[in-house]
Amino acid sequence: MKRLSNSFRIFLGGAVLSYKALFRWFRLEPYLATKIIAPLTQILFFTFLGTFATGRDTASFYAIGNAIQLTAMSGIYGVTMSVGGERNEGTLIYLFGSPANRMLTFLGRALVHIIDGMLGVVIGLTWAGLLVGVDYSPANLPALGLTVFITTVSTSGLGLLMGCLSLVTVNVMFINNTIYFLLLVFSGANVPLSNFPVWIQHAAYALPLTRGIQAARLVISGSSFTDVAPLLAGEALIGVVYVFVGYLLFSWFEITAKRRGTLEAY
Amino acid sequence: MIANLRVVRTAFELEVKQQAVDLFMIFGVVIQPLLIAIMAIYMLLERDPSRGIYVVVGSGMTGLWSSLLFSGTFHINAERFMGTLEGIVASPSSLAVVVMGKTLASVSMSLLSMIFSYGLASLIFRFPLSVAQPVPFCLSLLITVLVFIAFGLLISPLMAVNLSLSGWVNALEYPMYILGGFLFPILLLPGWSNPLSYVLAPYWAARVLHATSSGAATLPDILLSWSMMLILGCIYVGASYRLFRIVLRRARVDATLSLM
Amino acid sequence: MNAIEVRDLRRVFRATIGTIRRRTKEVIGVDGISFDVRQGELFGLLGPNGAGKTTTVKMLTTLLIPTAGSATILGHDLVDEAAAIRPLIGFIFGGERGLYWRLSAKDNLRYFADLYHVDPGVARRRIAELLQLVGLSGRENERVEGYSRGMRQRLHVARCLLHDPQVLFLDEPTMGLDPVGARELRQVVKNLVSQKKTVLLTTHYMFEADALCERVAVINHGRIVALNTPEGLKRHVEDLSVIEVEVFGIAPTMVDSLRQLPDVDTVSVEDRDQKQALRVHSHLGSAIVPQIMQRLDGDGVKVGRVTVREPTLEDAYVRLVGGEA
Repeated sequence: MKRLSNSFRIFLGGAVLSYKALFRWFRLEPYLATKIIAPLTQILFFTFLGTFATGRDTASFYAIGNAIQLTAMSGIYGVTMSVGGERNEGTLIYLFGSPANRMLTFLGRALVHIIDGMLGVVIGLTWAGLLVGVDYSPANLPALGLTVFITTVSTSGLGLLMGCLSLVTVNVMFINNTIYFLLLVFSGANVPLSNFPVWIQHAAYALPLTRGIQAARLVISGSSFTDVAPLLAGEALIGVVYVFVGYLLFSWFEITAKRRGTLEAY
Repeated sequence: MIANLRVVRTAFELEVKQQAVDLFMIFGVVIQPLLIAIMAIYMLLERDPSRGIYVVVGSGMTGLWSSLLFSGTFHINAERFMGTLEGIVASPSSLAVVVMGKTLASVSMSLLSMIFSYGLASLIFRFPLSVAQPVPFCLSLLITVLVFIAFGLLISPLMAVNLSLSGWVNALEYPMYILGGFLFPILLLPGWSNPLSYVLAPYWAARVLHATSSGAATLPDILLSWSMMLILGCIYVGASYRLFRIVLRRARVDATLSLM
Repeated sequence: MNAIEVRDLRRVFRATIGTIRRRTKEVIGVDGISFDVRQGELFGLLGPNGAGKTTTVKMLTTLLIPTAGSATILGHDLVDEAAAIRPLIGFIFGGERGLYWRLSAKDNLRYFADLYHVDPGVARRRIAELLQLVGLSGRENERVEGYSRGMRQRLHVARCLLHDPQVLFLDEPTMGLDPVGARELRQVVKNLVSQKKTVLLTTHYMFEADALCERVAVINHGRIVALNTPEGLKRHVEDLSVIEVEVFGIAPTMVDSLRQLPDVDTVSVEDRDQKQALRVHSHLGSAIVPQIMQRLDGDGVKVGRVTVREPTLEDAYVRLVGGEA
């Protein structure tokens, strides 16, 4: 029991730390710009581009796709920075020296970004409703909420993996930017997956977001929860796989760093 | 004059040397435009493969704008972080001349993104690509470079005067893609936004580059775009001149030149 | 004509404090200083951190506009003729910033030579000479990020000499250097004077000012509290003796209580590993030792060795800045 409560404390502690890290650069104006205006511009650009390609009646396809994809902003950038930030701050060595459960520490860090990411999707969907006229009346709202939650969690899973990867490589932002754009292109947010060659379609289903975006489109157009349940289960599984791979990578990194004595370099 | 040109050249060279190994720059110039090109290819060309050159020019323009916006934001501010701004300000050379060299460097490097998009579309996707009116196209590209430098000269001091503006950079990227008509015509946009497009030189650049590459350009249309770019370029330079004066005066009066 | 003439120069900074209720507070950086530096002189500006040295140098190098007062460099007014002054002066701010770390030393120097409109042919020759002068020949093609702190600081010296300026401002050039590096740099500074350059050097090391400067202005809280030759400054403390007491863990309040003693002039404390050196200036000489010991005993401070000696220039400085050095 003590162990459990201890783990819980580490988990929450990680969350609080991550929260502070997120809001250290917090100033209202840039936050609003990044959180509210930037998503709007992304949704508008791709919706215009999409309707230019396939006609006005497809607008909601692109608007919903981008609104859900926005979760990658916190899921990828936020999570990676709070894990990878360890390295820049030079605090990694203390974490390595501690008995804390690494997995819980990192999951705790991801927590605040999951909340932030869901908020981002809500803002995105609101823009989609206001500006593109996406109609939410047929939607089963609890199912939509669950879809957003699972998609955000699984995207944060990829973020955790990237965060661990960033401990090994030099440039976090480069990886993040690339992943963000890869998701934009291959998650089906903007290009219907059937447009791609088959091998790309397979790869796309290994990404988080892909099933989540599909599920969100279905739910908003009136599908029931049972219709999208398989998609959501797949999305959740993908998230778990990424977290697990990230954990393995981190353990490997910790052992190698300790064996080679390169800890100080981080 | 010759001394100033030398400063531009050296600033250009050093910026290239510093940026060529910078992953952020590589992302902005190579990866992002290529991914946008791939996306646009799958979105647009499914319907109409003859428009390959449209995608190449359009995604090239996104690369040109994004790298101008992001590097422009950092041209003066990075010198501030490194502590080299004081050395420049206290030298007999003007800061504007140095920034001009640096902007020239980022604009030239980002022209690469158009070349990469071209390579991608022609070599990998094997779309038929040809520039229908090569001479006007090249002249337009040259004017585009000049007017983008003028725009860059406006961005850098603006971001130095108001640091909190740099928090807005992410929100300024797509609006230019939209208003500039890079990958879809501004006819799709609501009418009230068109005047905004008209005062943005990148819009005229995209318009004339699209028209001359597809072969739809008429002489009056080309001349209109060129004159608009030149007029707007002059306005940007004039505004930039004033902004640089404000930057220097403020930095020396408010003592924020080396802080950070 | 003097190389530098400073009259009642003053600089006030406006600082914004508080995150929610933002208020502005005025901080006086330099509070009306005046001095002249002759051509070819090595003039020292000596003072503790935060005394206003760097602010003074920033004003004199056209980087800051004075709030009040005036100054001329080689006869040119600081504010109205800044453009005329810039080619004539060179400057270093202590520390490692101000270079492009991703570039080689040679690229850095070439860039700054161009900024100062040095003819490329002349620049090539001068860069080679200067690299030799500061002992970086052979490593000029390495990136600055791989340089040691001392190498970077010497590169700064080369940088500021590129355009052969007549007046040099060196703001704490030896700051953060190891003793050997600092000595080498001081030798470079000495050589500058033999080349008829005017040098204004700031430092918070008395011995550095003593070793290099012909005249020294001691600055504290933005004001010049003394201006003299090093020998002249020493006369400020001729009548005093210095009592040095080794103590272990003395609290600031106890130091203050010593300052209350009637015959004590100044008290300063310097940390030395686990112990501290308490330095008391008094005209009583060894006669004051019992009083000090009694006071320390009463406060329960553990005391080590006690010595009484003649004052040095360092002591003059300590007295002038009121024990803050």
